[in-house]
Amino acid sequence: MALGALGLGSAWAQDLKGALPIPQRFNRPTSETDEGGLWAMMDREETRLRRSPLVVRDAALTGYLRELVCKLVGEHCPDVRVYVVRTPQFNASMAPNGMMQVWSGLLLRVDNEAQLVAILGHEAGHYLERDSLKGLRSAKDKSAAAMVLGMFGLVGAIASLGVVASGYGFSRDQEAQADRIGLQLMQQAGYDGREFPRVWDNLLAELKVTGGDEAAQRSILFATHPAPGNRRDTLRQMAGEGGGRLGTEELERVVAPHRMEWLREEIRRGQYEESLELFNRKLALRADDAQFLYARGEVYRLRDRTEDLQPALDDFQRGAAAERPPPDLFRSLGLLQKRRGDKAAAAAAFQKYLALVPDAGDAGLIKTYLSELQS
Amino acid sequence: MKKLLAILLAVLVAGCASVVKVEGEQVLNNRMSVQLPSAWNRIAANQQPYELWTQDGVSIDQLRMWAGVTPGQSLVRVPNTPSGQKPPRVPTFVANMTPDQIVNLFEVMYAVDGSQVRITRVDPAQFAGEKGVRFEFAVTRKSNDLQLKGVGWAAVRNNELFAATFIAPELAFYQRLLPQAEGVVATARIKGA
Repeated sequence: MALGALGLGSAWAQDLKGALPIPQRFNRPTSETDEGGLWAMMDREETRLRRSPLVVRDAALTGYLRELVCKLVGEHCPDVRVYVVRTPQFNASMAPNGMMQVWSGLLLRVDNEAQLVAILGHEAGHYLERDSLKGLRSAKDKSAAAMVLGMFGLVGAIASLGVVASGYGFSRDQEAQADRIGLQLMQQAGYDGREFPRVWDNLLAELKVTGGDEAAQRSILFATHPAPGNRRDTLRQMAGEGGGRLGTEELERVVAPHRMEWLREEIRRGQYEESLELFNRKLALRADDAQFLYARGEVYRLRDRTEDLQPALDDFQRGAAAERPPPDLFRSLGLLQKRRGDKAAAAAAFQKYLALVPDAGDAGLIKTYLSELQS
Repeated sequence: MKKLLAILLAVLVAGCASVVKVEGEQVLNNRMSVQLPSAWNRIAANQQPYELWTQDGVSIDQLRMWAGVTPGQSLVRVPNTPSGQKPPRVPTFVANMTPDQIVNLFEVMYAVDGSQVRITRVDPAQFAGEKGVRFEFAVTRKSNDLQLKGVGWAAVRNNELFAATFIAPELAFYQRLLPQAEGVVATARIKGA
């Protein structure tokens, strides 16, 4: 699991200079072996996934991701198939048969291509090390095996970031090794390795909402030593001064057509404090982005504490004045102004919303609000 | 997911007594009554703050009903979390909520397992004899890729929330079972003050 990318173990402290050998392409295992059985299960899961309504069918996005993976794994490229799955949590996985899943919540969260390839490289690391086979062979009972298989979608649904984290099924050493491979692959491909620890920092900030300051120690993901601060420092040290490619615009270009929908899905998780962490971070990078201004204002509006009304209004007003504000912003602005008792401003915002989206699903309710405001 | 469903089914089957046939007049939480035009299966002890009824099994269709939710109460049970960790937020009724805020609670409720939820229609409507809201929605269930349709009704009286939602697979089931759900919901009446 991608979250495992952040579980930095002791192997990081080993010899970091010597490049790890990358194995040759794998042959399909014969069906009578345990590995063959594992592949067959993954093939069935992939058949299901291929038909899933949750898969994002966007050739440009999928092609972009596949190209990134190919840059990382070289000759293994023909064996990799990438699926983007609409799920707002942070996750990715790569199954032994070459099926790679990238969740929309991950694509929404990473700030540039370098952060994305850090996670993809880590997943490729598990694939190249054939970790799921090792995990299955060492699993002492069915629930442990289910956890290994669960990483590829065979088990259960996911409630929160924390729950995704607890579903992690590789050992600490396997995670550490996948991290080393991931960093090596991303740096060999010319990316700035310093972005790797930033993914860690960003996710930890969200996990702290429910986990508190001890989130790092408590989470299965982060339950390795030394302390998280030291781990991050180790990563920074390993990544070196290097520099390298970031690829911010390239990522933005393929994500842009989906971002508004993914933001709605993030807001719909109803985990307001986690979302605020995410949106504050994004707005620190791009202060005038109308979509993120809408998203943060909407989270404040929905949380609806007395002290939330003003920041919600500020974000909506700044968003409305920014380039290409989303129509949803005017609905939310109207609801907020109605809440604040500013009837004229509320009516104006509702009228703008209905003009922009005349066939909106909630037009019936909004029109009722409008006539109440005008009576 | 199949495993999860299997466990769910096993739990339901193992505890045969936990599924009971209901018909005639039913009183929910002592606060709301409904008249059943036809029989339903009630999942007793569902460990949630709502009544859970089904025609063809909970993995197919679900009629959920809330009667007398007071401010501060959540629409679903707060999940258990390891000690020292805060539980995630769950959709919670708050005093003086507007219809749009109430619809949002149900939207979040159906999205909690990673499913995709889209509200497709919201209109003012009567529920349980009160002025309220009716909404329609679509769900793509994360656990089994099933595409479902849903409808909900909600109203507030004396700062208590009364609500019902019905959900079933878009293909065939929803159209077939919706009249039965609507038949129950249309008879809902608030009891007491």
